[in-house]
Amino acid sequence: MGMKELVEELRALRRKALEMGGAEAVAKQHAEGKLTVRERLDLLFDGGTFTELGVLATHANVSPAMRGKETPADGVVTGFGKINGRLASVIAYDFTVMAGSMGRTAEIKCNRAREIALTKRIPMVWLIDSAGARIQEAIGSTFAQSGFLFREESIMSGVVPMVSAMMGPGAAGTAYIPALADFVPMVKGTSHMALGGPPLVKAVVGEDITPEELGGSKIHCEISGVADLEVADDKACIQVIKDYLSYFPQSNLEKPPLVASEDPEDRMDEELLTLVPDSPRRAYDMKKVIHHIVDGGRFFELKPGWAKNLIVGLARMGGRSVGILANQPMVLGGALDINSADKAARFIMLCDAFNIPLVFLQDVPGFLVGSKVEKEGIIRHGAKMLYAVSEATVPKVTVVVRKAYGAGYFVMCGKAYEPDLIVAWPTAEISVMGPEGGTNIIFRKEIAAAPSPDEERARRVEEFRKLINPYVAAGGAFVDDIIDPRETRPVVIRALEMAQTKKIERPWKKHGVMPV
Amino acid sequence: MPEEVKAHITGVVFQVLAKPGDKVGAGDPIIVLESMKMEIPVEAPRAGTVTAVKAKEGETVQEGDTVALLE
Repeated sequence: MGMKELVEELRALRRKALEMGGAEAVAKQHAEGKLTVRERLDLLFDGGTFTELGVLATHANVSPAMRGKETPADGVVTGFGKINGRLASVIAYDFTVMAGSMGRTAEIKCNRAREIALTKRIPMVWLIDSAGARIQEAIGSTFAQSGFLFREESIMSGVVPMVSAMMGPGAAGTAYIPALADFVPMVKGTSHMALGGPPLVKAVVGEDITPEELGGSKIHCEISGVADLEVADDKACIQVIKDYLSYFPQSNLEKPPLVASEDPEDRMDEELLTLVPDSPRRAYDMKKVIHHIVDGGRFFELKPGWAKNLIVGLARMGGRSVGILANQPMVLGGALDINSADKAARFIMLCDAFNIPLVFLQDVPGFLVGSKVEKEGIIRHGAKMLYAVSEATVPKVTVVVRKAYGAGYFVMCGKAYEPDLIVAWPTAEISVMGPEGGTNIIFRKEIAAAPSPDEERARRVEEFRKLINPYVAAGGAFVDDIIDPRETRPVVIRALEMAQTKKIERPWKKHGVMPV
Repeated sequence: MPEEVKAHITGVVFQVLAKPGDKVGAGDPIIVLESMKMEIPVEAPRAGTVTAVKAKEGETVQEGDTVALLE
């Protein structure tokens, strides 16, 4: 054959691979409300920037069960392209080819894509739509030579941003990919993840359960906390991946990109005067405070349906990416429990890994107490949050909006946790405990001995209450200032600018022993 | 079968806002607990009619206790 014929042959092979699992399988994918893997990548990458690797790959032909089968691209599309002008590496499973199962050749392609992300220090994006390991190629003890991907993914953690979008099933092998990634959106209705899918669950433990009940988006976004965001469809899923990555640098060696905002840095916001109720025991929506201080009111919340007593998410202030942690008085009064501590610790580590400054908005009556939370291990979960905020060396700014009680004040970056600026609103209540609890402990004997113990207690409580006053904290220069709530945005932005050259040296260690 | 509305936190009943026969919407507060220095509402999980209120002002309820029934 001459060159012309050879090129024709090549083109034909490529065309065949681009047909994925064939017209019937593609129609089935569409009928389920899902896009094909190639339609997804068209949406993800800027037009004309995607370079595919391994398009001509086929299955490894290692098993009689695979003889005669065709597996275009071996069921996974890999390569690199630009997302909003910045490179990323991608691994996207193709459900139309043997249910997106992970074949031996496919894994060679995935190795290549991970290596590109790690050695070139660019984000790694997985689009998961896969039944898991391809059992036909991995049957029996050939399994001994597998599992490399999770070790590699662990090593990549904190080096490059990792996104694992659930756009179909992710069972067994493909369920640990999201578990080790930083950001996990899930498409409502079509995506599931579970260590063992329903057939395995039935066989091993005898439980009859649907994929949706076992590991649908509601389970993981509201109960388990494994996923970060529930999205309506594939298109929305691709959009949140792009939005998420826009807040991040390409790797831990860089700072996040500055994104100019029309929102003036010195904007004073009158609304901030009216959000906190007059009664210190009443709840209000902390999300409103966030919306009023960030650039353009845009807040990319993570895990909005789980551990709702603590809000975490990404925003920009003065064009800089920030990670915001805020107590939510609307849920459990803003008190911290095990899940909110878990959510906070993970988010702090995420931001610290990628040089994203942290802004803390405090209104926390403390950690929940009682036998239930002690049995759940609130001590070690609370310690995890202490550990994460202590370790973080990124710029940290703390605003005490209202309550700042006990260890709640510590874990939300109180003065001892190296905030570059800590300010309080005039409504701030900073104290080891509330007046009632404190009075009962300190003046127990005096109250018992008084002619009228109830009156004595009430008098002592009022005296104690007077000591919980932001001007006590400001008077000792324990906090940097008391601010007019309207000034919050300019004050935080100026602090972030001041702290951008922050340099903190820690003693050398291999790593700490994190209380997980 | 009436749905049990349960306290999601241990606390002292500060206010009882609904009485038997009241129609409530999802998210409407049925009682308010005082806990963790805050007033924390226990809300109707869905719309319905309150058939019984089992909590009294000043009483302590434990997390998981049924405070009202919803039909």
